[in-house]
Amino acid sequence: MKRKQTLLSELMSEQRRSMIVLTGVSLALGAAIIGQAALLSEAVNRIFVMHADLSSIVFLLGSLLAVMLARALLAYGNGRIGLYMAARAKRTMREKLIRKLANDSVSATAGGQTGGKVSLMLDAVDEGEGYFSQYLPRMIEAAVIPLLMLGVVFAWHYPSGIIMLVTAPFIPIFMVLVGLKTKKKSEEKVEQLSQFAGTFLDSLQGLVTLKLYGRARSQEQEIERSSLAFRDATMGILKIAFTNTFMLELIVMLSIGLVSLELALQLVVFQSMSFHTAFFVLLLVPEFFSLLKNTGTAFHSGRTSMGAMRKVEQLLEERKGEGQTGTERTTVQPGEEGLMLGPMPPNIQLNDVRFQYAPDSFKLYVEKLTIEPGGKIAIVGKSGAGKTTLLHLIAGLLPSDSGDIQLNGRPYEMYKRSSWFEGMSYITQHPYIFSGTLAENIAIGTNRAVNRSEVEQAAASAGLAEMIGGLEKGFDTLVGEGGRGLSGGEKQRLALARAFLNQPAVILFDEPTVGLDVHTEKVLQRSISELAEQATMITVAHRLYTIREADLILYVENGLLLGSGKHDELVECLPAYAEMVHLQRKGRAG
Amino acid sequence: MSELTILTKAMFRERKDIAIAMAGGFVAGIGGVSLFSASGYLISQTVFAPPLYTLIVLISIVKILGLLRAVSRYAERLYTHQATFSILSRLRTSFFAKLVPMAPGRLRTQRSGDLLARIVGDVESLQHYFLRVAYPPVVLVMVFLATVLFASVYSIWIAGLLVLGMLVVVFIVPAIILQGQRKIRGRVRQQRAALSTDATEMLYGFLELKVYGKLRKREQQLLESSDALASEQRAAGLQLLNGQSLHTFVSFLIAWSVLVLGGYLIMRGSLAGVFLAMLIMAALTVFEEAAAMATLPAYKQDSQHAAQRLAETVQDGEAEPRQPEASLRSDTAPSIELSGVSFQYADEWRPALRDVHIRIPAGSKAAIVGASGSGKTTIIELLLKLHAPNEGLIRMNDTPLEELHEASIWQSAAVVLQQSHFFRGTIRDNLLLNGDMLSEEELRDVLVKAGLPYKSLDDLVYERGENLSDGEKQRLALARAMAKGGHLWLLDEPTSSLDVVTEQHIYRQLFEQAAGDTLVLICHRLSGLESMDQIIVMDQGTIVEAGTYGELMDKEGFFYEMKQIERQLIGEGG
Repeated sequence: MKRKQTLLSELMSEQRRSMIVLTGVSLALGAAIIGQAALLSEAVNRIFVMHADLSSIVFLLGSLLAVMLARALLAYGNGRIGLYMAARAKRTMREKLIRKLANDSVSATAGGQTGGKVSLMLDAVDEGEGYFSQYLPRMIEAAVIPLLMLGVVFAWHYPSGIIMLVTAPFIPIFMVLVGLKTKKKSEEKVEQLSQFAGTFLDSLQGLVTLKLYGRARSQEQEIERSSLAFRDATMGILKIAFTNTFMLELIVMLSIGLVSLELALQLVVFQSMSFHTAFFVLLLVPEFFSLLKNTGTAFHSGRTSMGAMRKVEQLLEERKGEGQTGTERTTVQPGEEGLMLGPMPPNIQLNDVRFQYAPDSFKLYVEKLTIEPGGKIAIVGKSGAGKTTLLHLIAGLLPSDSGDIQLNGRPYEMYKRSSWFEGMSYITQHPYIFSGTLAENIAIGTNRAVNRSEVEQAAASAGLAEMIGGLEKGFDTLVGEGGRGLSGGEKQRLALARAFLNQPAVILFDEPTVGLDVHTEKVLQRSISELAEQATMITVAHRLYTIREADLILYVENGLLLGSGKHDELVECLPAYAEMVHLQRKGRAG
Repeated sequence: MSELTILTKAMFRERKDIAIAMAGGFVAGIGGVSLFSASGYLISQTVFAPPLYTLIVLISIVKILGLLRAVSRYAERLYTHQATFSILSRLRTSFFAKLVPMAPGRLRTQRSGDLLARIVGDVESLQHYFLRVAYPPVVLVMVFLATVLFASVYSIWIAGLLVLGMLVVVFIVPAIILQGQRKIRGRVRQQRAALSTDATEMLYGFLELKVYGKLRKREQQLLESSDALASEQRAAGLQLLNGQSLHTFVSFLIAWSVLVLGGYLIMRGSLAGVFLAMLIMAALTVFEEAAAMATLPAYKQDSQHAAQRLAETVQDGEAEPRQPEASLRSDTAPSIELSGVSFQYADEWRPALRDVHIRIPAGSKAAIVGASGSGKTTIIELLLKLHAPNEGLIRMNDTPLEELHEASIWQSAAVVLQQSHFFRGTIRDNLLLNGDMLSEEELRDVLVKAGLPYKSLDDLVYERGENLSDGEKQRLALARAMAKGGHLWLLDEPTSSLDVVTEQHIYRQLFEQAAGDTLVLICHRLSGLESMDQIIVMDQGTIVEAGTYGELMDKEGFFYEMKQIERQLIGEGG
């Protein structure tokens, strides 16, 4: 694996040019700050000490204004570069995430946590911005400008330079110490904090329960109590941070005080320097320290950002580790070129196929399995036996770890992927309805260009005509997120309509277990057999009639294909199968 | 705008902390200005070669000012944060009180989880209103005015200049930023929402997209909306940066003007030259104190947006009708009658119930069956007065529900909802929700009855019961209802995640306790219904059949067909 690079270093490598520009601008900014102090002190010197006429220093004043403008513009420039870098980094991170998620195998997305992944793509990436828009520009400024200032002060008046040089390192050191100490304290209290912080949401979510049990009033006190406890715990942490900041400010004050004491002594006692120089140094010193202080805040936001980026990195990495061989296989294969599959159902064969989601999870193993074209296959087994996994393996939705899958006698990998999927329809237990019109949702089932009458035909075959006919906008009604909600049965029939439109050679069907209305059940029974007339049909079966009518039943237990055959054969020779069918029926009849 | 009233009220309650914070902030601000002005004056004085002791006095003043500034800054930080968290606590309790009458009505939307999380987030962003929006300008204006007063001792003109600067920095610049920001931040929010929806769709619909070969297209779409978001966010950042730069330049310009004006006044002889450096230092420092003003517009907009959304959510809650005085008798089993009841959820496009007639005599047991989405749960919600029917009448003990106080119904009802909520705490905490005092013995007995003999009362329950399996949650919910008791049992698929053996064990206990009580049971399985007094069969919001098990089976109608379908099911279905 050549990919040892971290996400951050990868992101940084894109920013090299911006970093150079940033350094250049920072140098100019340093010069402007110094120039401003020099010109300002010179102007005051002329007016106050030398009693110069205003008109004689017009040029000086003009230059001062120009330098001030330049300083504001240069600072703006640095900010702009930071924003540019941040936008670029965010784009790259999101692109990586999107590509990763889109290229995952089905097993990875089946893991749920959709909300978590989406929030990672939005919030964590946004949090990562601080590193580029704040941390980097401030750090470069703090690395470049104070050095410049020190050089100038040394050249003009080295004793002040020495004081600055000696006191300066305390600031970043102290800042880091503050950060670490606060972090430690907050880690100690993290459990407590999260407990208090969650009470409000917890109470809102349980509001109905609280009402029904007459506890809504007392919960209000509970919220107050935990909010105040949260305040006190947080204040405990903040107090440490504030005390340390207080110490830090004292150091800065002390240093500035030291410089001014030294300047005053030089001016009055030793009379060894001019007002001009002294005022110049006095103007520069606070700027010097405030630049150093900035690094502290930048350091903090940099750390938060790096934490967020690590989370993004984890998701990217996690996917890589999971089912490694599989992912490689799908990406290595050309996929988009190769043999085409005809419109006829292919012969499907599995030899020694093994699959595992993760090293410790259950194994699926199929020694040999042949599915004839046009066959009606039912996969049967207890929940968690690996039925859906087997279905996904046959369909090429999951990459096998070893062994091979052949279509018409040739390895699956030799075929153009899209030609395989084009001839396939999949009716899942919980079909997903995309946000869009009903017509669009049906048309998603095929890649052909279809006209409205074909869509209507498919909907009618799936028993949706009556429902859609009753809608004001008919097929143009918006459904899915932000549109009208469909019942479970209607979703199921919509998935059927997709299949009718596609006229597939292979149909995958994960039969719903419960909760369908009588009408949908009837439609399913009738139209599935109609669909399956010309196609291979592979069903994860939960209905006895499906099983009875199957040409081949695959009985799966603990990831193993324990037996296959027709219903009557299996009832006779496979006790586990007979028991399952028998027990379930008995339990219900009671 | 009620939420701003809540906010103001909350801030007023914390007036002591706020006053201390303001005093601290004011002293710190002035301290900074004095510190640098004094140094400027100190340096200028040296030109006249003053005696050493004046110098020492001056330097000591500078040191003391530095210390004072650091101390008061510390106090300011401490008290502003203290006040912020106290305000948050008050906001939470006030909003909670407002939301209580609204549940589940207005809070019931397709993605109610998101809605609640949003409310929590919005309340939290309101807390920033004090620290980042309300507080800084007040303190800043105080510091500015003090500085102006100080400057006016030396020159009224320079004081005027500072006033001008203050107006620009505190009012005009933030107003300009806010102006441009409104649109851009709106667009950022829109793009964020779009990206979030697209990404969610891709993940949820992954299987379909993959099989139907639409994944590439979706990926492309997502990349585009990610790019659009990055550009909009950059634009928003630039807008804020513009403001900051404008702020910086204005403060430089004022300092420069002080220099020129000071020079002119010195030339005219109306200002002593020794004060020039001091006034310039004062001007430079006072604007540095104003740095918080540059980020103010961003926070202001966020908290305004949060307040607006909260207002939209909470609005209807205020119009909640007063509850009538009459209450349901809690010592006997009630009779229930629904006549011509229709109901439609506000966010749904078709009615959940249409012209429903049900009669459940006191002390009888009724089961409601039907496909998911057929309106079973809605009946229970209406019986609990969580919603009011659009048409028709519901009576309990012959009294219309609208004449009964909702709390009296809840008090006599033992309820298990389809989605029970559990709170962070112990099993005991989650059982004793009704506040009644049951003995340890009785509580443990309830756990055993509900099929949780292996749980101890002190076992921890995480938020939303995350450490419990679905089956355990259902049993705990049943235990909760059994612990509470009542003469009206409303149970919505209480055992859907349990196996048949456990289910039957629990039902035995339950029916024993509920003997003589009125009971409505929604069930997902059609088995074990033989003993029910009536079975109500629902389809698409209407009642298609009702009767005893024997009657319905003899009739060979809808129920019979459902039974036939269920007989076909094997596998997880049972």
